[in-house]
Amino acid sequence: MASRLSGGGGLVTYLLAAAVLVFVLAPLAVVVAVSFSTAPLAIFPPVGFTTSWYEEVLANDEFQSAFIVSVTLAVCSTITSFVLGMPAAYALNRWNVPGSRAIEAMLLSPFIMPILITGLALLQFMAMLKLRDAALGLFIGHVLVTLPYLVRTVTASLKQVDRSLEEAALTLGAPPWKVFTKVTVPQIVPGIAAGCLFCFMVSFDEFPLSFWLSNAETMPLPIFLQNSMTKVFDPSIAAISSLMILTAAAAVIGLEKLVGLRRAMSV
Amino acid sequence: MTSRPLPRSVVGLALLLPALIFLVVFLVLPSVILLSYGVLTQSQGGDISLPLTMGSYERLVVSETYRRVVLLTLRVALVTSLFTALLAYPAAMVIAYGKPIFSRITMILVVAPLVVSVIVRTYGWQLMLNNSPTGVLNWMLHALGTGPTPVRVLYTEWATVIASVHVFLPLMVLPLSASLGRINPSLNEAARILGAPAWRAFLRVTLPLSLPGLVAGVTIVFSLTAGSYVTPQMLGGTRGLMLGVLLEQQINTSFDWPMAAAIAGVMVVIALAANVGVGWLAERHALVRAQRSGAR
Repeated sequence: MASRLSGGGGLVTYLLAAAVLVFVLAPLAVVVAVSFSTAPLAIFPPVGFTTSWYEEVLANDEFQSAFIVSVTLAVCSTITSFVLGMPAAYALNRWNVPGSRAIEAMLLSPFIMPILITGLALLQFMAMLKLRDAALGLFIGHVLVTLPYLVRTVTASLKQVDRSLEEAALTLGAPPWKVFTKVTVPQIVPGIAAGCLFCFMVSFDEFPLSFWLSNAETMPLPIFLQNSMTKVFDPSIAAISSLMILTAAAAVIGLEKLVGLRRAMSV
Repeated sequence: MTSRPLPRSVVGLALLLPALIFLVVFLVLPSVILLSYGVLTQSQGGDISLPLTMGSYERLVVSETYRRVVLLTLRVALVTSLFTALLAYPAAMVIAYGKPIFSRITMILVVAPLVVSVIVRTYGWQLMLNNSPTGVLNWMLHALGTGPTPVRVLYTEWATVIASVHVFLPLMVLPLSASLGRINPSLNEAARILGAPAWRAFLRVTLPLSLPGLVAGVTIVFSLTAGSYVTPQMLGGTRGLMLGVLLEQQINTSFDWPMAAAIAGVMVVIALAANVGVGWLAERHALVRAQRSGAR
């Protein structure tokens, strides 16, 4: 099929889309531009060119510990989401579980609940149980937030698997677990990888839940960033932000390479 | 084989159980406890217990200030959904129908910000909309020579709307482009061959057929905007106070847990109404249309 955007209408659509892309990229581009400014305040237009804000940020102990907290948290919650979500998504799509639609809605329910409320409810619950460990609270909370992403991505991949291959293996006498490991898994590996990468980024970026559950000792990067914003007004904030944009760009390239963005977003 | 295989449903449930237990213990149970505070009484000492009361919910409705926050939250969510839909169409059209290279570039650039932390994106909008002449918007207006007075967008609900459109745009573009991609191209061609100009073919053929994607997108954007905290907190100021920020103030400033829980209750109802209600309306609409066409 030839391109369906042709003629005057097509041109207008392309131009409008280009304007939308400018709107999408402008605030991020401004952050990156300001991070190289020599001005003592984060103002526009940036002045001169320096990488000293990056040197300052990377040498900052608090930044380093926040970065380590965020990466640890993201890795742990991704692994846990995988351990919990992978069998659940598989069961929903391959085993005749009664009430599977209700269960699926339940598994995706963290999407509907405003995360600010999920975090506050968990904070209060932990306090009731006398569990005042910020790291544990953050870990549980981040699994709650990342789990539905993993379930959704794996479900989308499972739906694209050729069922007749699984049935053929079963008919030929392979036990179900062997069908799963030898036939199903190889077909959904890219989907699983994309789901895990997505979980990692969701956890790495998480704010409204960490906001309740973190404390001064265990502070993820977005919370550290927001705290700094209220105290510091120089471009070091822009430098931290640019480092986070860089991480996100790497993740997007990873998703595109693994499965293609369109499939990674399960549409 | 020595033992009989287990029934499929038993194995399935065993695989599902860990995830379900985790969600029930750490999401459902804590949420129910928190929401129950909304109808309980807080003593002077801070203990929350019986008697049951609708006092907190009543204050939300009766008090002028609180009612304004509820209405502003709904208005911001609605306006954000509208603008997001307007901006999403051209991008989604290029993704669905554009030349492969443009389609791919648009997809990557629209989706990429989704994995940038909302804190970073909101910070970007602080720099963009800063009320002083050093904000990007005011700097541009000045460069264009529109006069000396800087516009004041930051710390109003409009700053929240603009940034929310930016934050949630990918979540509108994705379902919309999927929906557009499923439309049979010959329908549009037929309209054009029969003499409809491009804009008319879009309005009468493409737009109605893309409604499922639009409905899905509006649902997500509306409920996420109504439940958001970061954007209104950093950009909205006191004039753009929304429910999420009000909830946080009740906990951290007023220490009023029943009030915070009542606000949470309203936020949950809004989110549920958006997710369940919109789906129900869309289904009913489709049903009515099917009946009408059947009657013809």
